[in-house]
Amino acid sequence: MLPAVELRGIVKRFANVLANDHASLSVLPGEVHALLGENGAGKSTLMQVLYGSYHADGGEILLDGSPVHFANQRAAIHAGIGMIHQDFMLVRPFTVAENVVLGLDGELQLYEEKRGILDLAGASRRIEELSTHHGLQVDAGARIEHLPVGVQQRVEILKLLYRNARILILDEPTAVLTPQETAKLLETLRSLAAEGRSIIIVTHKLHEIIEVADRVTIMRDGKTVATVAKEDTTEAELARLMVGRDVLLRVRKSPLKRGATLLTTQGLKVNDDRGEEAVSGIDLSVNAGEIVGIAGVDGNGQSQLVEALAGLRPVMGGQISMEGTDITHGTPACRKACGIAYVPADRRGVGSVGTLSIEDNSVLCNLGAFTGKFGVFRDRARSRSHARDLVARFGVKAPDIRFPAGKLSGGNLQKMILGREIMQQPKLLIVEQPTRGLDVGAIEGVWAELLKVRDSGQGILLVSAELEEIRNLADRILVIFEGRFMGELRPEDADDETIGLMMAGRSGKTRTMTHV
Amino acid sequence: MFDDFAFSAFVVTWLAAGIRLAGPLLLAALGEIYAERSGVLNVGIEGTILLGALGAYLVTYATGSPWLGVFGAVAAGVISNLFLAWMYVTVMANQVVVGVVFNIFALGLASYFYRIVLGTSGNPELIPMIGSISIPGLSDLPILGPILFSQSALFYVSIVIVLIAEFVLLRTRFGLNVRAVGENPRAAANAGISVVGIRYICVLLSGAGAGAAGGYLVLAQIGLFRDTMVVGQGFIALAIVIFGRWRPIYAALAAFAFGATDALQLSLQLFSFDVAPQLLLSLPYVFTVIAVSGLIGKTAQPAALMEPYRDR
Repeated sequence: MLPAVELRGIVKRFANVLANDHASLSVLPGEVHALLGENGAGKSTLMQVLYGSYHADGGEILLDGSPVHFANQRAAIHAGIGMIHQDFMLVRPFTVAENVVLGLDGELQLYEEKRGILDLAGASRRIEELSTHHGLQVDAGARIEHLPVGVQQRVEILKLLYRNARILILDEPTAVLTPQETAKLLETLRSLAAEGRSIIIVTHKLHEIIEVADRVTIMRDGKTVATVAKEDTTEAELARLMVGRDVLLRVRKSPLKRGATLLTTQGLKVNDDRGEEAVSGIDLSVNAGEIVGIAGVDGNGQSQLVEALAGLRPVMGGQISMEGTDITHGTPACRKACGIAYVPADRRGVGSVGTLSIEDNSVLCNLGAFTGKFGVFRDRARSRSHARDLVARFGVKAPDIRFPAGKLSGGNLQKMILGREIMQQPKLLIVEQPTRGLDVGAIEGVWAELLKVRDSGQGILLVSAELEEIRNLADRILVIFEGRFMGELRPEDADDETIGLMMAGRSGKTRTMTHV
Repeated sequence: MFDDFAFSAFVVTWLAAGIRLAGPLLLAALGEIYAERSGVLNVGIEGTILLGALGAYLVTYATGSPWLGVFGAVAAGVISNLFLAWMYVTVMANQVVVGVVFNIFALGLASYFYRIVLGTSGNPELIPMIGSISIPGLSDLPILGPILFSQSALFYVSIVIVLIAEFVLLRTRFGLNVRAVGENPRAAANAGISVVGIRYICVLLSGAGAGAAGGYLVLAQIGLFRDTMVVGQGFIALAIVIFGRWRPIYAALAAFAFGATDALQLSLQLFSFDVAPQLLLSLPYVFTVIAVSGLIGKTAQPAALMEPYRDR
C-alpha cells in the first residue's frame, strides 16, 4: 500500500544543534502511527517540518507518493495535514465556531461565504453535524476560556475534521487528560483511522502506544532508530530503543518512619492570576519522613497551592503553619528560615536565573551563608567549592561551574535546583512536577534523590501530574480537583480507574460509574 | 444663574465644538484600534497626525482642492507608517521606543518640509477648507440640529467609517484574522494566517487613520499648517482606544466625550468663571492619564499587545 505520507532523510539544524538527523517516517492510510522518543529527541521538530512550520535543511516529504514542499502551515493545511499542538492553538476569548473557521479563507475556503463576511451560524451547524457524527460533544457558541481542557481538545480535533484533514498529527495529546478522557480520546482516534485517515501520535508514554498504535517509529538524538509493528514488540523493548539502554523504572522504598507533624494548612484559600478562587479551602498536613503526593490534572489549583505554601502568592483565607508556627503571611525568606525548601515546576522562570552561572545559582537562595568580609563581600572560595560539591554529588553535566544555568538541559538544570535545595537540609521539601520534560535516565536520578531525602527523616510534598511518579514515590496520595481534595488514597489502592475518577471530580467515597 | 436662552446657547456651542474637536481623535483612534487588535501598539500616531496634516496642507495648497488634500493626508500617513510597520513587525524593535522617537522625528520632518516648500515667510497662507453641510430638515431641529447636523462633511464621512470599522472588525474574515493575531499569534499562524501580513496591514491602517486625522485638523478645523498644531492628540487617541475597549463604536463615544471636555473650556469663556483656563485646558490630558494608568480596561486588552512574533 502506498504510504499516505512519507518523510525521507529529513535534516533540520538550529544554530549548532542538529534536531533532525536524516529522520524518516512512513505512515499508511488508515493507520495509527506513534512517534516515540524522549524529550529533545526531535519528534516535535520532525512534525513541525511536516506541518510547514519549519523548513527542512535536507530531505523530502511525499504525500501519496509525490514530493511536496510546504512553504508554510497554510500549504500543509491545504494538502490535508492537520496538527494539534501540545499547548492548544486556540484563541481563548473566541467562541468554538470562531476558532474552527479561523484562517479558512482564500484557497482554504470550504463553504460559500459572501465576500469575506463571516457565516458563523452556518459554521455552527456544520460543527454540530461533525460533533454528532464523531461523538465529540461541544457547544459551538461557547467561549474557549470557559471550556475544560478535555473539551478544548475536542475543539482542536473538530477543527481538523472541519478542514477534512486526512493526516492528523497529535503532539503529546494525553498530557493534560485524566485516564478516562485519555481512553475516550484513543477510541476517537481509532474510529478516525477506520475512516481511512492517518493518525500520528507524538508521545513518550509507552502504555498508550501499546493501547492504540498500529506501528511505532522510535526517535533518539534526532534520528529515527526503528519502526516496529505493535504486535512484534513489548514495552520493555520500546523503552530500550527510546533510551538506548535497559531501563528499570521501579523504586525500592524503605518502610515508612513517620515523624512529627511539619506543615499543616487549614481551610487554605488562594486566588489565581485572574483573581478567581483556585484553591478552595484545603486541609493538608505533611509529617517528617513521609512523601505526600498531590495528584491531579494540571490547572486544578495545585500550582497556586504550592505557590501559596512557598510564600509566592497571597493567602486569601485559612492558615498555614510549620511546626506550630503560623507562617500564613510570611515572606519566602521566612519560610526558608522555618526549614521549607521549594523546587518549582518552572525551572527557568522561577527556579533559576538563566544568565547567571551554576556557581551563582547554587548559592542564590542562601547568599547569607556565602558572604565574607564586613558582611558585604562575597566569599567566592566557599561558593565555588559549594558549587563543585553540588555538581559532583547530583551529577550535573556541565563544562564547569561558570557555565550559565540557562544553557543546561532540562534534566541537568533540575538536578542543579534540586541539589541546591536538598543541600540546605530543609525540614520540608516542596517539589512541583520534578520530572516534567526529563528523560527516563534523569527521572531515575531525581526519584532516587527524593527517596534519600525521605529516608533521612525529612518531609516531602510532591505535586505531580504523572500518576506513575506519584504511585512510585508517595506514602499518601491526595487527589486535587478544582481546588479541593477529592480524597486520600494509599498508593496500593490508587489504580487508574479510582484515581482517574477522583481526578475528574468524583469524590473518593461515592464512586458512581457515570460517563466522564 | 442662566436663563433658558443663554443655557441652550451654551450647550449648543459647547457640544457642537465638542463634536468638531472629536473628529480627528476619532479617526486616529479607529486606525489605532486595528493596530492594537493585531497586537501592535502604534505610539507613532502622534507624529503621523502631524505628517498627515502637512500632506493635507501641501496637496491642497498645490491643487486648490481640499478633497485631494484628504488623499494627501492619508497617503502621508500610510507611507510614513510603512517605516513604522517595518520597525514594529520585521525588526521587532521595542514598540514604545520606536513610536516615541518617530514622533520626535516627524516633528522635525514636518517643519523641514514646510519651510522648504513655503519658504520662511512669516505668514502662512490659508487654504480652502472642506465646508459644513447642513442636512435639510434635521439641521432645523432645536439644539440637536446645530450640534449634529451642521457639521463638516468630513464628520459625516468619519461616522460612516466608524460603522464600517465596527462591521469589518466583528463580522468579517479579515476582522477575525486581525483579532486572532492580536490575541494568540501562534494559534493564528497555525491556522494558516500570515501574522506578519496582518500586522503590516493594520499598522498601515492606523497610519491612514492618523493621517486622515491630520487632514481633518487642517481641512475642517484650522485651514493652515503649524508644526505645533497636534499637541498630544495622538496620545489622547491612544487613551480613547482604551476607554473604547478596543471597539470602534465605543471609541466613537469616548472620542465625543474627550472632544466635549476639550470644548468645555472654549464654551466656558462665554461666561465669566473664576477658574484658571489652564486648569480647564488640562482636562483632556487628565482623562488621558487616568485612561492609560491601567485603572480601566486591563482585561479587554488584546492578549498579545506589544508582543513581537517570530515566524518560525
